Amino acid sequence: MPKKNIPAPKDLLPLSPTLFHLLLALHDGERHGYALKREIARRTAGAINPGAGVLYGSINRMLEQGLIEESEERPDAHLDDERRRYYRITPFGRLVAQAEAVRMRELVQIADQAFGLPERA
Amino acid sequence: MKLYRLLLSLYPARFREEYGGPLEQQFLDDYREAHNTGMRFKLWLSALRDLAWSIPVELAHELRQDLAHSLRVHARRPFVMTFTIAILALAIGGATGVFSVVNAVLIKSLPFRDPDRLMLLSNIGVPNTSIPDAKGRSAKTDVFLSSEDSPGSGAAGFKNWRTNSIYLEDAAEYLTAEMNITGVSAPVRVTVAETSYNFFSMLGSEPALGRAFAPGEDVPGNDNVLIIGHALWQQLYGSDPRVLGSKILLNGVPMTVVGVARPAFDYPAKASVWIPTAFDMMRVPAGGVFFPRTIGRLKSGLTITLAQKMFEADGEQLSPGRKREDWERLELIPLRTQLAAKTRQASLVLMGAIGFVLLIACANVANLLLTRTTERRGELLIRAALGASRGRLVQQLLSESVLLSAIAAAASLGIAYWASKLAAVAQPAELAAQQYTILDWRVLGFAIGTAIATGILFGVVPAWLVRSLQPSGDLARMQSVAPRAGRLRGVLIAIQVALTMILLAGSATMGRGFLRLLGTDIGFRPDHLVTLSVSLTGTPEESDARKAPYYRDVLERLRGVQGVESAAAIDFLPLDAHSFIGGNLFTESGAETPLVIFGRVTPDYFRTMDTRIVYGREFTAADRGRVAIVTEGVARKIGEGSSTIGRRIRRRNEEEPFTIIGVVQPIRYSGPEQSGGMEQMFLSAGSNAPIFATFIARVSGNAADSLAVCRDAVQSVDREVPVYGVKTYQQRLDETLAVPRFRTTIFLFFGGFALLLAIAGIYGVSSYSITQRRREIGVRIAIGASAQGVRAMILRQALWPIGAGMLIGVGGAAWQGRLLEHLLPAAPPTDMAACAAAAVLLAVVAVVAIWSATSRVLELNPIEVLKSE
Repeated sequence: MPKKNIPAPKDLLPLSPTLFHLLLALHDGERHGYALKREIARRTAGAINPGAGVLYGSINRMLEQGLIEESEERPDAHLDDERRRYYRITPFGRLVAQAEAVRMRELVQIADQAFGLPERA
Repeated sequence: MKLYRLLLSLYPARFREEYGGPLEQQFLDDYREAHNTGMRFKLWLSALRDLAWSIPVELAHELRQDLAHSLRVHARRPFVMTFTIAILALAIGGATGVFSVVNAVLIKSLPFRDPDRLMLLSNIGVPNTSIPDAKGRSAKTDVFLSSEDSPGSGAAGFKNWRTNSIYLEDAAEYLTAEMNITGVSAPVRVTVAETSYNFFSMLGSEPALGRAFAPGEDVPGNDNVLIIGHALWQQLYGSDPRVLGSKILLNGVPMTVVGVARPAFDYPAKASVWIPTAFDMMRVPAGGVFFPRTIGRLKSGLTITLAQKMFEADGEQLSPGRKREDWERLELIPLRTQLAAKTRQASLVLMGAIGFVLLIACANVANLLLTRTTERRGELLIRAALGASRGRLVQQLLSESVLLSAIAAAASLGIAYWASKLAAVAQPAELAAQQYTILDWRVLGFAIGTAIATGILFGVVPAWLVRSLQPSGDLARMQSVAPRAGRLRGVLIAIQVALTMILLAGSATMGRGFLRLLGTDIGFRPDHLVTLSVSLTGTPEESDARKAPYYRDVLERLRGVQGVESAAAIDFLPLDAHSFIGGNLFTESGAETPLVIFGRVTPDYFRTMDTRIVYGREFTAADRGRVAIVTEGVARKIGEGSSTIGRRIRRRNEEEPFTIIGVVQPIRYSGPEQSGGMEQMFLSAGSNAPIFATFIARVSGNAADSLAVCRDAVQSVDREVPVYGVKTYQQRLDETLAVPRFRTTIFLFFGGFALLLAIAGIYGVSSYSITQRRREIGVRIAIGASAQGVRAMILRQALWPIGAGMLIGVGGAAWQGRLLEHLLPAAPPTDMAACAAAAVLLAVVAVVAIWSATSRVLELNPIEVLKSE
């Protein structure tokens, strides 16, 4: 449920790594919570692997901020447990994710000018 | 899985409802993938870590949301919010203030090591007649009257007794006396504790500087050492550590300072000097009467009951076959109880009273919020229909009320601070070191705990109502909430009325008791009287040859002061003396009187005090022999009316009798609260001038204006004699009455506050409930009911809870009467008049509220009313 006073994307920055990864993991379609968790763990090679409580806490916050919404569509009931809930990114969520990426890019540029960036950390 | 589900219930309602399913599902998925015990163990570990982190985060998140919502909701009804916070702040603040006293008196630890094993050994010892001899005093000087005699005789006897005790680890002896410190720029009068050498080590409070008394220092000849109180050290020596080894003249006797007590250590009796002379009465002649007391530390592992048995056996062994009166019963009294004695019962009763106020406040606020909830039932129903569960709504309502009480608790700390300042006025001297602080963790914990408990208590009622809402139900169901709320309101009003009546009846009883106290004839007229005390010990006027001329000179100078009508002196001033000399008298026929207090007075004493002389006359300068004036009670033992004059009376252990020359009206020696039984015999100071005395001067103008000039007059006779206790007699009386006045004021305040709460509550709820019944009233009027009929019906319905509350209140008030006697012994038994007055007042408030609310409704056009619904 988006808030009454919709904030500008920049107001929500910086995003926590978990939140940012959640938004990124939703870029190509709907996923349920468990799938999101696995996707993030895969992308970060296990560096970020939120527990269920933290995951749904983050999802709850993103829903409240209007970054994602719950999807009414479900796959075939035989394939899926009805307790699973599916989420998709909202246009506002995309804007916020982009704004976060821009923020990071600017940060990277500053770091590059300051120290130079090696190929690998 | 069950365990995990159970843990999920720790999440706040909304989160649990929203995500409980997915969380469970995810755990199940992970569990299926965990093939062996090791993996399952790891899964559980990470799940627990996750829960431990996210549950508090979600709780805080939802609480923040609920509170924000609550603020919005409350802001829409600022009156309800302000009223609720004000009522709760007052009630919680009062409770916290009273609790800070209870905390200081009953709970907080004493500044001693393991204080719960410290006991006062009441009435242990040899029969009192032998004490003077044991202490080297001739039995002829003063008759000793002591309720706490010392065991054994002398330092060696005491040491022998305590080291052989089977129930005591250690014991110490002490007695207190006022003494002069001279040889300093301004002589001061201080309270001195004469102790056995082990006093400090037994209590477990070593001096802050220097040392405690050493073994053997309480043996006569070795005892010219002194420990000075911290405050007095600062005052006299500016905290100079070089005080150790210096000499102080105590009552003219040089004593060497060996230690400085810890800050705030002033046990016993606000002492500021300690000397190890408990067994050496002639070392520092103090003059007057001594009450040696024995305190002991129980051996560890010994129960009080068992120790009491051993103590009784010990007492019997020390004085075999002694018949003990009630007041000399052998009793082990915990030191804490002894110190708190005067305040303990009173504190608990006050705590009970403030508890009532808190309950009334709760009932009131619950009623108010209940009304608000009924008003908000539309909003709640819509939220329920939109999917908010009952749990969620209950959580919302609870957090609304907890928010209110949290704000109230914060505000209440200010009130608590003020209340504890007030309470400090009533503290007994022995507890002076106890600070009533509201920053103590127990007090703060109490305030916060009370706030939460109050919040939950009054949050539960509206919440309980909401539980009856059916999210799936149709809107018609919400009508069913109204009658249920009505019944609840009735019960709450009945509770409020009952509690208020109990408190009001209590207030009235206390108030009347206090007025009775003020009106008590104490046997003299305290207005226009100036009092000034001196003690000649250690001063140039100490010798027998100089005492009498000194008193004569002072009285002459006093009489010369402008405005002074008459002046006199007495050794033990009524209201002031904490000790007295007394004993039994024997008539010519051999009959024995009960305990009689002896006082030595100068001529003009009774005229100055304005004490009525019933028969005979008062002393003149010519009375130097064995003549006496007695109070009426003593006279009645001797003869009828004026026949007493000329009769003779004898003191115990004395051959030569006194001839009675006058009979005076009864005098309340210890003040208006004294229940009687203290008869007096006055002797002429001319024949045997006392070592200390209080001068009294009756002045024509305002006594307070004459204090300075009278003090100058006394000092002008000999500047070496410290003059203290320069007060008007009225001030002394006010001090005596401070405690009962304080308790009465508190009770009146509680009673008044409860009444205000009840009035506000009953008025608000009665008017509101009628406004809610507009539609029904409209229908009744429309179908032909008369306005009077409707009014009568509503009154009948509204008055039953008040009536029920009154019945409970009357019973409670009668029961309470007995408790009040602890607070104010002069309190009359609870009178039903006060009860009835309270009941009538509350009923009138209810009738007025209902009447005016019904009038407003009846003035409306029934058609309009029905339309608007």
